[in-house]
Amino acid sequence: MAVRQQQPLRQRPPVPELDVSTPKSMRRAGKWTALLLTAFAAGLVYLGWRLISQSAFYMAKSGQATYGKVTDRTGDVLFDGTQPLTNYEWGHFADVGNLIGDTSGQMSNTIVARNLSDLVNYSFTYGSSGEPAVLETTLLHSANIAVSNAYGVKNGTTIAYNWKTGETYVCVSRPCVDIAQGYANIAEMAEGSLLCKAFYPTVPGSTQKVSTLLAAYQYAGVETVNAQQFDCQGSWTNPNGDVIKCHQDYGHGTQDLAAAFANSCNPYFAQLVQSGIVPLSEIITSYTRMGYSVNGEPAPTLSLDGITIQPASTKLTDKDQFETEWGALGQGKTLVSPYQLMLWQGAVANGTGSAVQPYLLRSKTAADGKKTEIAAMHHTDSLFTATAAKAVQDVMVKNSTEHYYVSLGNYTCGVKSGTAQVSDDGRQYENSLLVGFCLDESCPVAFCILIEERESWDVTTAQIAKVLLDSLSGMI
Amino acid sequence: MTKSIKPVSHPFLLLLVLIAHTAMMILVVCSFGMTAEVLKMACAVLTADLVGSIILAIVNREACTVDTVLLLVIGMSTIYQSCFGGLSFAVKHFVIGIAAFLMCQLSYAVTRNPYRAERLKPLWYGMFFVLVAMILFLTGSRSMWIDLGFITIQPSEFVKPVFVLICASSVRTQLDKHSIAGIHFVPDNLMLILCTVVIAALQWWCRDLGSLPTFLAIAGCGILMRFCYLREKISLRLMIFLGACAVMVVVFACKFAPDYVQDRLHSDIWSDMSGSGYQQVKALTAIAEGGWFGKGAGNGTLIKVAASRTDIVFSTICEEWGLFTGMMTVILVLFLPASILTVPPRSYYHSGLAVGVAAAFIVQMALNIFGSCNVIPFTGVTIPFISQGGSSMLASGILAGFLKAAQAPVLTGRDAQKKQKGGA
Amino acid sequence: MDLTELFERYPFFREAATAFVVIFVDICALVILIAAGRERRRGDRRWAKEGRGYMLACAGEIYPLGAAEVLIGRHPSADIQFPDTEISRFHALLTLSDGKWRIEDIGAHNGVTVNGRRITKPCILHQNDAITIGNRRLVVIKGSGKDVAK
Repeated sequence: MAVRQQQPLRQRPPVPELDVSTPKSMRRAGKWTALLLTAFAAGLVYLGWRLISQSAFYMAKSGQATYGKVTDRTGDVLFDGTQPLTNYEWGHFADVGNLIGDTSGQMSNTIVARNLSDLVNYSFTYGSSGEPAVLETTLLHSANIAVSNAYGVKNGTTIAYNWKTGETYVCVSRPCVDIAQGYANIAEMAEGSLLCKAFYPTVPGSTQKVSTLLAAYQYAGVETVNAQQFDCQGSWTNPNGDVIKCHQDYGHGTQDLAAAFANSCNPYFAQLVQSGIVPLSEIITSYTRMGYSVNGEPAPTLSLDGITIQPASTKLTDKDQFETEWGALGQGKTLVSPYQLMLWQGAVANGTGSAVQPYLLRSKTAADGKKTEIAAMHHTDSLFTATAAKAVQDVMVKNSTEHYYVSLGNYTCGVKSGTAQVSDDGRQYENSLLVGFCLDESCPVAFCILIEERESWDVTTAQIAKVLLDSLSGMI
Repeated sequence: MTKSIKPVSHPFLLLLVLIAHTAMMILVVCSFGMTAEVLKMACAVLTADLVGSIILAIVNREACTVDTVLLLVIGMSTIYQSCFGGLSFAVKHFVIGIAAFLMCQLSYAVTRNPYRAERLKPLWYGMFFVLVAMILFLTGSRSMWIDLGFITIQPSEFVKPVFVLICASSVRTQLDKHSIAGIHFVPDNLMLILCTVVIAALQWWCRDLGSLPTFLAIAGCGILMRFCYLREKISLRLMIFLGACAVMVVVFACKFAPDYVQDRLHSDIWSDMSGSGYQQVKALTAIAEGGWFGKGAGNGTLIKVAASRTDIVFSTICEEWGLFTGMMTVILVLFLPASILTVPPRSYYHSGLAVGVAAAFIVQMALNIFGSCNVIPFTGVTIPFISQGGSSMLASGILAGFLKAAQAPVLTGRDAQKKQKGGA
Repeated sequence: MDLTELFERYPFFREAATAFVVIFVDICALVILIAAGRERRRGDRRWAKEGRGYMLACAGEIYPLGAAEVLIGRHPSADIQFPDTEISRFHALLTLSDGKWRIEDIGAHNGVTVNGRRITKPCILHQNDAITIGNRRLVVIKGSGKDVAK
C-alpha cells in the first residue's frame, strides 16, 4: 500500500518555486509614486541648473554685486568695475560713455545696464573671488576717439557697422558723459550727455529721399523712375496751394532722378510723390516693410544687444497734402533713429535688401572663467527688394563719386546727405546728416553721421566720414 | 514571529544616523564654539536618536526605513532651525519633531490593518467634517488658524491625513454598487467627490488656495487608483478627454481666480523687488550667495525675511549650509514616499494610502521649493518635517505612519467585516 | 574654540567641513538605501510566511498570490485575468486574513466552485484545493524555496 501510494507522488511535477511578487493592481501604487518622484526629481535638476546659471543675475538684481570690465575689440577697457575709473587717464571714457554706461544706474539704455547680469563678478562656484567678468564689444576705441575728436565743439552722433559681418565699430554720441568723473555735476551737464543719440529718432532730412526712392523703385520699376523728369523753379506749389521750397532759391530746372537725388531737390521728390507714379498706399507699404510706424500703426522695436531703439515713424495721409509730401521728404512728422538709417544703408550696401543685423557684444567671460561667444550673424527680414537696393546703391555711388570725390578721397562710397529742419521748443535750427556706405574691402562699413546745429563754417559730415573711414581702414 | 528572519542592520543604521548628526554638530561647534546652547542641542538630538533607536529595536523592527529616515530628518531639521542666523536651540521644533515621530507610530498602529482602517471609514468621514466645521466656525474670519492663546492650530493641516484615509479604497468597496433610478454608483466614490468639493470650496472661501493643489493631487491620485479597477481599460480617447477637462479647469480657474490669486500668477518678482517679490528675491539671492557649501551655520541673513523658517526654508538652509546640503535634505525627505518602491504595499487600501501620502509630500515640497525659487507661483506651504510649524509637522508624522503601515501590514479580522455585512 | 577664527580666516576649511557633513549624511542615505533593499527581501519572506506560500496553478501556469486581495476576472485590470467569456469581469476575490486564504464569489454569473462545491459565502482554501471558475481549474499549491518559512 505504502509503495503504491508513493508512486503517483513521484510522478508529480516538481513543486514550483514560490513567487511572492505583487500583482499589477499593487504595482500601480509603485508606478504612480515613481512617476511623481521622477517628475519632482526632474524639477529639482532643472531648479539646480537654473539657480547655478542665474546666480550672477540674482546678485546683480540684489545690488550686492561687484562688476567686471567692458573692453573694445582690441582689449582696451571701456568700463571697469574692479577699480576706480579715475585710475585711467583723463578722458579715457569720454567718447562712448553714454553707449557703454556704468553701474551707477544713471543710464538705463546702455550696454552695461542692459547686460548687467553678464558683468557680475559672481559665480555660483567661486562666489565673488573669481576673475572679473569681461564683456568684449566689437567697438574700436581708437576710431571712436578719432571720430569724437573730429566733432570739435559740435554735437551729434556717428554710428558705423560692418555691413558684411554686423560688427558695430563706432557709436559716438556727443555731448558725452565722462563716466570717470561721476555725476556730482549732473545738473551742469550738457543736455543729452546721458543718452546715445544714435538710438533715438530724429528728423532725417533729405536722407529720407533714399526711403522714398526705394518705394518708387519697388513699385514703378527702376527704368521708369530713372527716366522721370520734373521741373524745379526754386519752389513748387502743390494742388492745395501749399508751397514746397527748394534749398536753392533759383531752382534746378528740369532734371532727371539722378540729378535730383544729387541736388537733393525737394520739389522733384514732392512731385514724384504727388504725381501718383507711386501711389501713396504703395509708399506706405514700402515704408512699413522697412520698419516705419506709419500713421501710428505699431512697428517692431529694434534691439542692439539689449539696447532698445524706437522704430522710425512718419505720417502719410494724402498725396496732395503738404504734410504728407513734406513727410516723404524727411521733414515734419518724420522721425528716424541714426541706427535705423545705418541699418538701411547696410541693406543697400550688400545689394540684397536684407541687412546683416548689427551687434555690439562679441563674447562674455563669466566670473568662473567660462568664455561664451555671443557674436552671431543674423539677417533682418527683407526690408526692400534686391533690385531696388542695387539701383539705389548705383545712384548713391554715382552721387558720391561726382560730389564727394574730394572730401572722401579714394574710398568707393555711396552717400546721401540731408539737412533736417528741427524746431525744438520754438527754437529753429538745422541738423546736418550723411548716410552711406563704403564698398572697399578694407573698410566695408555702413554709417550714419549727424551734426547738430551745423553752420556753414563748421566741420562737415563728409569730413567726419573721412575721419571715420581713415581710422577704421586697415584696423578691422 | 520574525525571529527566524535575520534582523536588518537596524542598530547599524541608527548608528549612522548618530554619526551624521554628530558630523553636523561638529560643524556647528566649529562655527559657534562649544557653548551651552550647542551642548543642549547636541544632547537633545543625540539622546533622541539613541532612545528612539533603542525603543524601535525592542518594540518593533518593521519598516525601519521610514523610522530611520524620520529620525535623521527630524534631527537635521532641528539643527537647521537652531542655527538660522545665530544659535538658539529650537526647543519647540525639536519637541514637536519628537511628537511627530510618536504620531507616526500611532497612526501606524491605527492603520497597519488595512481591513480595519477601511472599516473605520465612517470615522474618517466624521473627523473630516468635524475638522471642516472647526475651520468654518472656530478659526478667525476667513483664516485657517485657530488661536488658543498659547498655541495656534491649523486644522487644515490635519485634514490632509484624514483626506488621504478617505481617498484610499479597496476593490471590495468599489464593487459595492448601489443603484437609484437606474444610475449606478459607488457610495465611497460619491463621498470622495463630495469631500473634494467641500475642501476646495472651503479653501476658496478662506482665500487660502496654497494647499489646494495638495488636496487636489491626493484626490486625483485616489481617483486614478480607482479608475484602474473601475472602468474598462482607459482608452486613449478618455485620457485625452480627461486631460482636456483638466486643462480647461485650470484655464478657467486661472481666468476667474480672485484678484489676490491673479496677482500671484502674473507677478514678475524682478519688477516688484521690494513689494510682492521681496521674499523670493531675497530667497534667490541667498541661495546664490550661499553657493555650493553655504556661508556656514548661523551666518545667514535671510532669517530677517518673513517666513524664513517655513515658506522659504529651503533657501535659508541653502544659504547657511549650501545647495548640496539643501538638495540632499530634500532628497532625504523624498526617501519616505520612495520607501514603498522597495517594500510594496500588499493590499488595495494600503496602496491607496501610500500613493496619497506620496502625492501630499511631493506636491507640498514642489510648491514650497519651486515656488520660493520663482519657478511656479509662490504659495505658503511647508516642507514636511523641515519647515517650522507644529500642525504641519504632526500631520506629516501621521502621513509617514501610513507609509510605515503599508510596508508592515497586519492582515487580520477581515471576517468581522463579512459578519457585519451579513447581519446588516 | 580656535576653529571659529580659522573658519573666518580661511573659508576653504568651512567648505571642506560642510563637504564632510554632506558626505556623512550621504553615506547614511546610502546605507538606508541598502537597508531598504534588505527590507524588501525581509518583506518577501514575511509575506511568504503570512500567505503560507500559496500560489494558484492553472494548466501549467503559475499565478502568485502576492497581495492580500487578489481579483480574478475577465476585466483587464484583474490581477489574474482570463479572457474567457464564461468568466465574469469581476468573478472572484481571494483574500488573506488571519493567516487564511479565502475565496469569495463577487457576483459571478457562473459562480465559483471549490472542490466541486459551489460556494455561496467565503470559503477557506487549503493546499491542493481545486477551484473552478468558468472552464478553468485552478489548484492551490504551495511554493517551495528556502525563503518559505516552515
